[in-house]
Amino acid sequence: MSFRLRKFFRPNQKAAEKSGHTTEPLNSSLQKNLDALNNRTGYSSDIIIRKLEIEDNKKTKVAIIFVEGIVDSRSINDFLVHSLVSDGDLQDKQADQSVLDTIADKVVSVGIVNRIHDWKKLYESLMSGHTIILVDGMEQGLATSTKGGEKRSIEEPPTEISIRGPREGFTENIRTNTALVRRRIKNPDVRVKSMTIGQVTNTNVEIMYIEGIANKKIIQEVCDRLERIDIDSILESGYIEELIEDEPVSPFPTIHFTERPDVVSGNILEGRVAIFVNGTPFVLHAPSLFVQFFQSVDDYYSRAYIGSSLRFLRIMVFLISLYAPATYVAATTFHQEMIPTQLLIVLSAQREAVPFPAVVEAFIMEITFEILREAGIRMPKAVGQTVSIVGALVIGQAAVQAGIVSPAMVIIVAITAIASFTTPSYSMAIAARLIRFFLMVLAASFGFYGLILSFIVIIVHLCSLRSFGIPYMSPLAPFIPADFGDSIIRLPWWRDKKRPKLIGTNNTVRVGGNQEPGPPDSRDMKKKTRKGD
Amino acid sequence: MEKAKINASQLFVLIFLFELGSALLVSLGLSAKQDAWIAILLGMVAGMVLFFVYLSLYNYYPDILPTEYMQKIVGRFFGKFLACLYIVYFMYIAARVLRDFGELLVTFAYNETPLFIINAVLFLAIVYTVRKGIEVMARTGEILFVVLYFLAIVGFILVVVSGLIEINNLKPVLEEGMGTVLKTVITETWYVPFGEIIVFTMIFPYVNKPRKIKVACLSALALSGINITITTAISISVLGVDLVSRSQFPLLNTIQAIQVAEFLERLDVFFMVGLIMAGFFKISIYFYAAVTGLSNVFNTKETSKLVYPLGFVVLFSSMTIASSYSEHIREGLQFVPLYMHLPFQVIIPSLLLLIAFIKNRKKKKGVHQK
Amino acid sequence: MKANRLCTLVVFISTAFLSGCWSNQELPDLALVSAIGIDKTEDGQYMNTVQVINPGNVAGESRQGTGGTESPPVSTYMEKGNNMVQIQRQVSKKVSRRLYYAHTNLLVIGEKLVREEGLKNIFDALERDNEFRTNATVVIAQESTASELVKTLTPIDQVPAEKIVNTLKVTERMWGENLNVAIRDVLPDLVSSGKEPVISCFSMYGDAATGETLESIQETKPKARMMASGLGVFKDGKLVDIVQGDMSKGVIWALDEIKSTLVSVDWKEKQEAVVYEVIRQKTDVGAEVNKDGKGKITIDISVEGDIGETAVPISLKNPSILYDVEDKVEKKIKDNIQSSVKKAQDLQTDIFGFGDAIHQSNPKVWKEWEKEWDDVYFPELEINVTVDAFIRRTGLRNEPFLSSID
Repeated sequence: MSFRLRKFFRPNQKAAEKSGHTTEPLNSSLQKNLDALNNRTGYSSDIIIRKLEIEDNKKTKVAIIFVEGIVDSRSINDFLVHSLVSDGDLQDKQADQSVLDTIADKVVSVGIVNRIHDWKKLYESLMSGHTIILVDGMEQGLATSTKGGEKRSIEEPPTEISIRGPREGFTENIRTNTALVRRRIKNPDVRVKSMTIGQVTNTNVEIMYIEGIANKKIIQEVCDRLERIDIDSILESGYIEELIEDEPVSPFPTIHFTERPDVVSGNILEGRVAIFVNGTPFVLHAPSLFVQFFQSVDDYYSRAYIGSSLRFLRIMVFLISLYAPATYVAATTFHQEMIPTQLLIVLSAQREAVPFPAVVEAFIMEITFEILREAGIRMPKAVGQTVSIVGALVIGQAAVQAGIVSPAMVIIVAITAIASFTTPSYSMAIAARLIRFFLMVLAASFGFYGLILSFIVIIVHLCSLRSFGIPYMSPLAPFIPADFGDSIIRLPWWRDKKRPKLIGTNNTVRVGGNQEPGPPDSRDMKKKTRKGD
Repeated sequence: MEKAKINASQLFVLIFLFELGSALLVSLGLSAKQDAWIAILLGMVAGMVLFFVYLSLYNYYPDILPTEYMQKIVGRFFGKFLACLYIVYFMYIAARVLRDFGELLVTFAYNETPLFIINAVLFLAIVYTVRKGIEVMARTGEILFVVLYFLAIVGFILVVVSGLIEINNLKPVLEEGMGTVLKTVITETWYVPFGEIIVFTMIFPYVNKPRKIKVACLSALALSGINITITTAISISVLGVDLVSRSQFPLLNTIQAIQVAEFLERLDVFFMVGLIMAGFFKISIYFYAAVTGLSNVFNTKETSKLVYPLGFVVLFSSMTIASSYSEHIREGLQFVPLYMHLPFQVIIPSLLLLIAFIKNRKKKKGVHQK
Repeated sequence: MKANRLCTLVVFISTAFLSGCWSNQELPDLALVSAIGIDKTEDGQYMNTVQVINPGNVAGESRQGTGGTESPPVSTYMEKGNNMVQIQRQVSKKVSRRLYYAHTNLLVIGEKLVREEGLKNIFDALERDNEFRTNATVVIAQESTASELVKTLTPIDQVPAEKIVNTLKVTERMWGENLNVAIRDVLPDLVSSGKEPVISCFSMYGDAATGETLESIQETKPKARMMASGLGVFKDGKLVDIVQGDMSKGVIWALDEIKSTLVSVDWKEKQEAVVYEVIRQKTDVGAEVNKDGKGKITIDISVEGDIGETAVPISLKNPSILYDVEDKVEKKIKDNIQSSVKKAQDLQTDIFGFGDAIHQSNPKVWKEWEKEWDDVYFPELEINVTVDAFIRRTGLRNEPFLSSID
């Protein structure tokens, strides 16, 4: 949505509010109501108004109004139009009720039926896929839930692939998304709270948490921050993320997002609050910790040794993706004495013909790579191959043979690039990409001194961050031994018995005692009981 | 005082990093020659005694900063004067350590870079950290502690594996007799680094469980003391006492001597990482103490606003306190211990404790009589 | 707040950029010095020869492309001057790049220089400089000038400095007549009054002039070759003698630096008939001062090894024969060490560090002796050597085939 469009919308809407149009009650005349509706919607062609006459004694006029495309047209046909028109004995059913009540109670066979009295409610319902039934002579109408229309089916999430684990991913439909989580946690304590954010878009936003596990203060904080949002539109959860995060100027993300229902389930089970936004498969959850951005679902589904070592690897590799080019620049321009002699001879033989200083070379290569990566994402799939071939040839071969860059630099850039893909969280990987350039400048001006200082400053910065009041670097700093079991390593489930202390303050036990499995005592298969559990 | 709380283990980590700062930077206790390590161990014990003085002072006034209880002990005017002296002392030492640090980097890796730039860059990082407050410093400490200790262990293993250690270099033990060692303790190792723990009196009030301060401090002193002892002993046993005493930065030479399996050599960067981290903490803590003290004495509301001006003062004084490194070191060995460390670490606190003791006894008596 | 942030950012970025190019140096601007040779000229000045690596000829693509070495892997530059730093700077008139000493791993010193003037004057600059590494090996150019050694090209190791260093390392491990001595090892010995340094010598044979050309190494047997020769013995920092062969081996035994070597012993008239391969050894030096005020040094050596070769038909199955061999080995090593110590005592220089041993065991006595140690007390030392040799294995055969022939 362009900036201009927003500007155009906001005053318009305010004017509408001023005239009191939206909260005005409905008129008793059907025709007047329909005229008002048509005026308000400007005779939009996708708003369908179907006028009917029902078979009661007065031949009452009824109108069915819905927005084509966001409703399920089959249920409108079968349960509304058909029932209203063909129900010949409406008169009998009517008894002493009003027509509207009769329709609501006896005719319409759709799940949810709400009464509406004013225009505001009417438009809200209409725009979110309800079908409105207006009856002549009544100052109220009915909103029947006929939400439907085309939606994407549940597919494997493309940005979070796992080796082992469910293949479901969220879709754009908020109800499907909450349902996917509900299906995993069959517990009445799972709470969903709904709110509408965005004055123009009226986007449905829901938070989900588990009563009794989630910290009440954090739930309250999340609600407060969401309610404070005053914006015209929410098109993606990124809008919400930017509006509610603790530290907006930091390059590091303090709110984690995912498109996997199992990740959301795991997080709300640890006491976090999930924020669903209609229209996007990306669900936010808060509070998020630094280590969380390096955790992948595979860590939890594979055995603890493997999970732990892979997680540790990812953090190390994250450091490589941050520091590799900067270290190369620092080592070759400041600290040649630290490179082994043989390697230095090889490096200087390569650099001999390169016309640029090492830092410029690094910048050229890194930027080239960023261009390729960006192109790779934006490129239509059909031409994607061209990019990779051209990229490989341009960077890998031609540039080296032409003597513009040295082969060592190509290796460094390639390692960095591959390393940055191991970070499971895209937003964290992007943070590293940004900081990397800054680090290269530091390396070129101060060598390792600059790099070490930058490392300290980055740590200080990370330690100063908070996500919804929870220290970002916990459980590393402040060091919480009980929580360390699921941070840069993952202890087996029978050892990691507690939920994160700072997040789920009440009800922290999650694994019972004496869960460590072992071989049976004897052939009659009784499990050994171990001491100390 | 900012509203912040740190826990005992964070205090432990801060003290450890702080103590290590000087040991990595310069050689300690070398007047005792190959017995330097004994001097350091004894200095540690003496430092613990001093710590008990500071702790009992703190126990009289557990909720307020030293700059404030000085005013309660010796009266408002004189107390403020004393507090200001302490602030100047902290700033001066911060400037000194900064100078040490910058000189080292300039001599060992950045010959052509002006000292001012080296110091300024470091100080920018320190200003940033101190602005974030003690909680963030403590948390950062926890992470860097792990990094530093990891490096230390790897370094230790490498030194041992490359077969550099000549225990004979530490012999004969007590060649010059106990007298020289004790003299070294009293003139050098007592104050730096162990007596310097006085700066932590500015941090004690932030600890959330006051009862744990004693354990945390003593164990931090012990662990850092033992580590410094080992480091010094290794340096001497690798390089020989003569080379250590001639070397500006013995630990650097020790690490440069490492050669394992043809490729694990030239590990200067190891030294640099450890050095910068530990030095960073040492200066940060001194500087933080100065800033908090100043804001406490003059009741400024926003502590962080003082950080920039004070930062410039420390930065510029680090440039002007000496014209050459030799002069700087000479001041550090002759002037500073006698006229700075001795009064500020030993005499004044002891006197304060004495007065506080008498005052509080009177008070108690008064309470009893009532 | 915002202004503050902006200020910090501006300061930070500007310092980063301003500092730009103070200490940084790009690789192509550096000339990697692999070796330095120092000689003394007739007029009493120093003559330095630096060996600079041409990286392109050592590792570059051009080398693979043209299939051979068309230009040499190193170039050398010579310069005269009165002190080291001056020479180092003066060479810049001849080299297009900055000479970079951090990777120098060889220091060659001419025999003339060490004999006449000693090491003391040249080491200060090397030690003080933050670039030069004291890990570098130091050797003495025996019967030639350092410059000739530095200039000679070598066939297998492309960088001649590496050839010398690696040769020393290998021969130290295999043969034990030479030591790979680093500057770092020499410095404490120069300072200490209880130990004098020893430094390995290298000599060259063949035609030094052709050794500088590429043609020399295009033959299987280069015109000029270098080899490790004796062990230079120093006194007060000056070279007093060069010991060779068994004599230098004895020194290395006493220094506890033998890694592996051979001891050949005679067997019934046949000379050097049984060869004993030393696998590991441990030498302990103990010092004490007798009541009559004389120093006494005990050297305890225990050696483990195998039988490598026998030229006589003896049954190695028989332990008592092995004991005989062990005895002979012990005797030989003992003689070896004793003659070396005797030699050192004649030269009045304590290269074994016996003085340090006395210092550590009797610090008080040492204070009196320290000043006249080398000249008076060291030559009078009583030396006691005990050797304990073990034959652990006898190789793949237990008896020589010679015994079946007989």
